[in-house]
Amino acid sequence: MNEQLQHIYESIGWLIPEVIITISVMVMIILHLLVKNKYLVLKSFALITYGIAILLLLRDTPSKPTILFDGMMRVDEFSTYFKMLFFIGGVLGTWMYHPENKESAAEYLLLLQAIVFGSCLLVSTTNFIVVLLSLELISLSSYLLAGFGFDKKSAEGSLKYFLFGSVATACMIYGLSILYGLAGTLDFSSDTFVESLIELSSPLLLIGGLLTLAGLLFKISAVPFHLWAPDVYESAPTSAVAFISVVPKLAGIALIIRFTLAINLFGQSGYNWQLIMAVVSILSILIGNLSALSQKNPKRMLAYSSVAHAGFLMVGLVSFGMDGIHFILFYSAVFLAMNFLVFHALQQFEDAIGPVHDSLLAGLGGTYLIPSIAILVGLVSLTGLPPTAGFTGKFLIFGSLWGSFQQRGDWLLLTLFVIGLLNTVVSLFFYLKIPYYLFIKEKKGITGKTKNDWTGNLLNLILVIVLFYLFISPGGLMGWINKITFVL
Amino acid sequence: MQHLLSYLIFLPLLAAGVSLIIPANQKNYFRSIALLVSAIQAIIMILITLQYQHHGGIQLTERIPWILMELGQWGKLKAEYFVALDGLSFPMVALSVGIMAIAVISSWTIKENEKGYFILLLILNGAIIGSFCALDFLLFYVFFEFMLLPMYFLIGIWGGPRREYASIKFFLYTLLGSILILIVIIGLYISVKDPYSGNELVHTFNVLLMQNPENIIHESILSVNVDNQLGPFSFRLWAFLLLFIGFAIKLPAVPVHTWLPDAHVEAPTPISVILAALLLKFGGYGLLRFAYPIFPDGAIYFSWLVGFVGVVSIIYGALNALSSKDLKRLIAYSSVSHMGFVLLGLASITVEGISGAIYQMVSHGIISAMLFIIAGVLYDRTHDRLIANYSGLASKMKIFTGFVLVAFFASLGLPGFAGFIGEVMILFGAFLSEKSNGLIPIWMAITATFGLLLGAGYYLWTIQRMFYGPFSVKVPDVELNDLDRREYIMLLPLSMAALFFGIIPQPLLDFINPFAQEFVETLFRSASFINP
Repeated sequence: MNEQLQHIYESIGWLIPEVIITISVMVMIILHLLVKNKYLVLKSFALITYGIAILLLLRDTPSKPTILFDGMMRVDEFSTYFKMLFFIGGVLGTWMYHPENKESAAEYLLLLQAIVFGSCLLVSTTNFIVVLLSLELISLSSYLLAGFGFDKKSAEGSLKYFLFGSVATACMIYGLSILYGLAGTLDFSSDTFVESLIELSSPLLLIGGLLTLAGLLFKISAVPFHLWAPDVYESAPTSAVAFISVVPKLAGIALIIRFTLAINLFGQSGYNWQLIMAVVSILSILIGNLSALSQKNPKRMLAYSSVAHAGFLMVGLVSFGMDGIHFILFYSAVFLAMNFLVFHALQQFEDAIGPVHDSLLAGLGGTYLIPSIAILVGLVSLTGLPPTAGFTGKFLIFGSLWGSFQQRGDWLLLTLFVIGLLNTVVSLFFYLKIPYYLFIKEKKGITGKTKNDWTGNLLNLILVIVLFYLFISPGGLMGWINKITFVL
Repeated sequence: MQHLLSYLIFLPLLAAGVSLIIPANQKNYFRSIALLVSAIQAIIMILITLQYQHHGGIQLTERIPWILMELGQWGKLKAEYFVALDGLSFPMVALSVGIMAIAVISSWTIKENEKGYFILLLILNGAIIGSFCALDFLLFYVFFEFMLLPMYFLIGIWGGPRREYASIKFFLYTLLGSILILIVIIGLYISVKDPYSGNELVHTFNVLLMQNPENIIHESILSVNVDNQLGPFSFRLWAFLLLFIGFAIKLPAVPVHTWLPDAHVEAPTPISVILAALLLKFGGYGLLRFAYPIFPDGAIYFSWLVGFVGVVSIIYGALNALSSKDLKRLIAYSSVSHMGFVLLGLASITVEGISGAIYQMVSHGIISAMLFIIAGVLYDRTHDRLIANYSGLASKMKIFTGFVLVAFFASLGLPGFAGFIGEVMILFGAFLSEKSNGLIPIWMAITATFGLLLGAGYYLWTIQRMFYGPFSVKVPDVELNDLDRREYIMLLPLSMAALFFGIIPQPLLDFINPFAQEFVETLFRSASFINP
């Protein structure tokens, strides 16, 4: 008994950043009731919380994987890296938030924290129950966040998100129960899991694995579970979309990495999981990019672009090697910076001219120079052109894919390689549309408010510098990532 | 003096940064800064010329480690800031410095949003010179891509009526080409190891190391002794083919040339000048620097294809020029035709052919710049480019007509002008090839000669239509003044250069020839190493 208490006590010691976030959620509810100038106080409070969490995380970096709570959770460098990204995502999401109606600031900010908390749990577990719980925590908070526009459209988007999400979760629970039945364990990183599945050639294994993946692919909006993305992205407030499009997606990717490598049973599975991931990746890139071509609303376009990027992130996984995973980690950081940059600049335009539509942006490049340049840099990075980190990330990920092809000689990998790279040309066409309207189209006479948004422009500047810095000298971040040894 | 090349590359980028800070209403500053940069670049270029020694190898080398990254199981990735000059890049860089100066002078007429324009022009300047100097494939690619965005905006914002269509078409075509090149870069860096790194496996982007087939890792897909087939060809041949298509789009060669006429017609005059004189050169430069030396087996295997595409471009471009109604379109198609000669010279892989191809690139740079300035002079006065709307211009604009005659005759390959030397050397190479190395059949050389004839046809016909006969201009309310001082300053040095390199080719050949000799020698040596 004492020993167990001691173990739990020690385990909590590893989770102090998460504990701080949880406490902050509760404090915010109280602050909401007590304080007068809620918006500023709450926002600064949330930022301070993230700051403390980041510092603590940096202090307590685990040197080797540690099992917590009797195998329910684990901390390792892999999860620490993602936690860091989530906290940074939380900072950016909070920074971006500046609503008209400041009354609901507390709800909004604590939902962000709940998602960050859920994502932290998701990347630090290999137990099906905890996976499910943290996934639900993320999902429920995201549904609410999607409805934060408080209008009919937003409610519709939120409801669609909820319905799709519930079905995905149901599928996942079904899949998990099948896998539990087959393996006899809830921990998919345990030896029992591998041993009992290795000898199995039942199609139930495939069904269980696929159903589980369905729930995860829904979270990262990969094809064929991407249908919710455009509607939600269009109707939800931009700051919320920026956050939803990054943090839960990266958490999903992290878990997909763990889960696929586990169900692949060290390459001894009777089913070709590499093929499945490659197909999902190819389809996501193709369908995401091709659907984005005809979009006239920048937020819908970015929804499809985010579908395509789910595919790009998975390319690193398809090579099924350590370096591929390292490059996913690198690209995740880049993705965080560039997605926030684009959405943030878009939000600045929304503040100025109201709901943004491609044609409304015509000729505004001169008037809103800083947001325009910011969005240009962000979109160039999303396309994957130098001199931005988007290029470096794509370059490395496709490099690992080539390396994997060289080893295995599987034609599917070559197909993915060629399709993925050629899609850059397709994606250029729609990414360039926004700068095209901003700089090249004649002005239509729409003039918005001009406001000196210096905090916003500071954020633009920081993110632009990050994107250039990671291009010019990727060695620093890669050096840190390279030290991460990934163990299931 | 050290780091001359870096000054050359980064001076314009620095100046672009300075221009960014100056408020937009100080219009005159931006032009002056751009002109000052060109002047300083010219001085640096003279210093470089004084230091340069005529031999085949690289010189003025600058190497700084740029990216050194652990890649887990496959060792390390190494990219360098590696710039140097040799007999191929020296003429290109010198040409770039000259043409950029002319382009700045030509940009004096830009009257809207000068700040943005000159900043983009300066970025373009740095990127062009950077890509000509880079000997690290990744560095080259970065500079190469870095040209696209400024070019897109320069055509898209300051261009003609259909500029939106033209600029996006330019961007998409060129990006498609560079993605094909990127595919090969990714394949190459994984396949090439740095021999000077001891036991560690270091993957390098160093072009000189890539050119040595001994540095290619044995188990890799692009390895010389593994027979990896994909469809009809081995991976090495595919890689050559991708590079060839990628650079052919830039050149441009038929059938991937269709972006060029649109881009040229819509671009403002200075941008047309840069596009024709410098950006097209990356097609030939890329083939000479990367595709041929790295994949000599592909170069020999596909020499027939390269030659054939070249001949088709020569004839098809000339025929299109013959039927063009728009003066700029005519010049654009004549570029396609002249760049076809570069391909033919390359395909022959003889010293004459390669030297001729480089010579042709330089002379086309000079002459096409002149031609587009001429078109610009006319357009500035009348805002009309249709050949049929003009007649008898010679009677009103005497000096202008003189320059037009120089430019047209230089372009059609009249002996005594730079264009003649390049084309004749290429034809020598092409005729020699069947006997000496048997790479391209003699009928290609014969057919290409007809291209010269067609060239004479469309130019002489244009002169006759536009400049002789009774004077009439079908554009209302125009005053046709002869050249002003600014236009003089642009056209005079260009026509003198066209004449100089036509009469005294030796100074330029001193740079080119050692390179071409070593190029051909190394290429066949590597090829025999690969296929003994």
